[in-house]
Amino acid sequence: MIIMNQRMIKRISLLIAYVLAIYIVFPDNAYGMHIMEGFLPFNWAAFWWIAMIPFVIAGVRSIKKTVTLYPNLKMLLGMAGAFAFVLSALKIPSVTGSCSHPTGVGLGTILFGPAAMTVLGMIVLIFQALLLAHGGITTLGANTFSMGIVGPFVSYGIYRGLKKLGAPQWLSIFMAATLGDLMTYVTTSIQLGLAFPAASGGVMASVLKFMSIFAFTQIPLAISEGLLTVMVFNILTAYSQKELQVLTAFTGKALSSIKRGVKA
Amino acid sequence: MIDIDSYAYSNNLKTVHPAEKSVFTMMTMVVCLTATTVITPLIVLAIMAGGIVIKAGIPARVFVKLMLVPLSFLLISVLTIAFSVSTNPAGFWLAQTIHGLTVGIHYPDLITAVHLFLRSLGAVSCLYFLALTTPMTEIITVLHKLKVPVIITELMVLIYRFIFVFMETATTIRRAQLSRSGYVSMKSSFRSLSRLSSALLGKVFVKSQELYNALAARCYSGEIRVLTKKRPVSLRNYLMITGFEIPLILLNLLWR
Repeated sequence: MIIMNQRMIKRISLLIAYVLAIYIVFPDNAYGMHIMEGFLPFNWAAFWWIAMIPFVIAGVRSIKKTVTLYPNLKMLLGMAGAFAFVLSALKIPSVTGSCSHPTGVGLGTILFGPAAMTVLGMIVLIFQALLLAHGGITTLGANTFSMGIVGPFVSYGIYRGLKKLGAPQWLSIFMAATLGDLMTYVTTSIQLGLAFPAASGGVMASVLKFMSIFAFTQIPLAISEGLLTVMVFNILTAYSQKELQVLTAFTGKALSSIKRGVKA
Repeated sequence: MIDIDSYAYSNNLKTVHPAEKSVFTMMTMVVCLTATTVITPLIVLAIMAGGIVIKAGIPARVFVKLMLVPLSFLLISVLTIAFSVSTNPAGFWLAQTIHGLTVGIHYPDLITAVHLFLRSLGAVSCLYFLALTTPMTEIITVLHKLKVPVIITELMVLIYRFIFVFMETATTIRRAQLSRSGYVSMKSSFRSLSRLSSALLGKVFVKSQELYNALAARCYSGEIRVLTKKRPVSLRNYLMITGFEIPLILLNLLWR
């Protein structure tokens, strides 16, 4: 009986220690997952830089094409980048009670399309590294790959796919923003796992470790961001039809379907 | 409004040529990342801290505070690498078994984690050296010289300018919302923030059209030309950079 009690006490105290440790280590407000400067070994940092470049070139090409047709849209893109930076500095209450910062991946992708988002995402990440000390220069490749390439393309694919299946507007926006954020975090975990395989279990074990640890901040962040994006779009479709129409230059059909959705 | 930015314009190294500072930063960072010893990152950290606090004249308090910014990510990730969970208790260096599940540290993982911790701190100090001594506009000039596509540098100029405009607008709107209890509950915070975002986005559309009109009235032809300040190129600085880097590289190569 006494032994049982001791075991129970030990188990409970371990649980309390674990919960306390989590609360001490995790900050009150969670940013999107930026890999910090110097965290990736040189080879992996170089690998992700090289992996990022073709996407950036494609993005630059697509922007150039749009901008030669509509020169005023260059200003709009620049300001959209500034908007994304400011948005990421604001706090939203997370569903678990702490605060998190929106990434703007879902919102930007639905408005500007994934190709433009790759370039904008990269530039915003440079500014976040140099002005806010989030992320870094050597890890810019890896961060751009997760937040500027995987996130936007997943968001866009889900948004278009769900629209085609006839899902309601709010659901496709919510899923696009939430799953875009979640995939960003999964990608970052994979990047970290690949760079630091565990001594026992290798890459997979390491990826799972990172995913389960960062789930504490990233899953609530993704859900909050999904909710926020839906609310922003509700206001935009109600009051800014004309402006949304301008953006069809970037995404083609995606936004004209928003208009139809409102009329119906 | 952004601390790092205001120090970049007001430090003692702001007249040094931006290319020199960038070369120094990037070389040291690469040396720090390729280090196999624990000593190199510590030396890098010391050099950069000296450069930032003594040469650039940035208060030590500011530097220490900045070094703490990435600490939460660093601690979480390093601990994640060090600890592992397994059903097989063999091979652990330090472990605790509960219900057949073993939580513990493998010795090689611990070494990786300690190395990583120091290396990241060293690299972060390099990043701060560049960020705290070089204004963004000059970094953009360096990128332009490196033949980064014009569209990217031009977007950077625009974004840099409008970050401050929108930051001010966002702060004003947020203050107004706060003073009207806009953030008292979770529901109202979501409502306030979504209104803030869409109001800001509305401003984005209006301002960008205004900027385009203003530029078009001044013969805008698709390229924004900006005058850059000429900074003196100093041979002494380049010699100093080589003087710092060669011993570090040698240390990396020889200490194996």
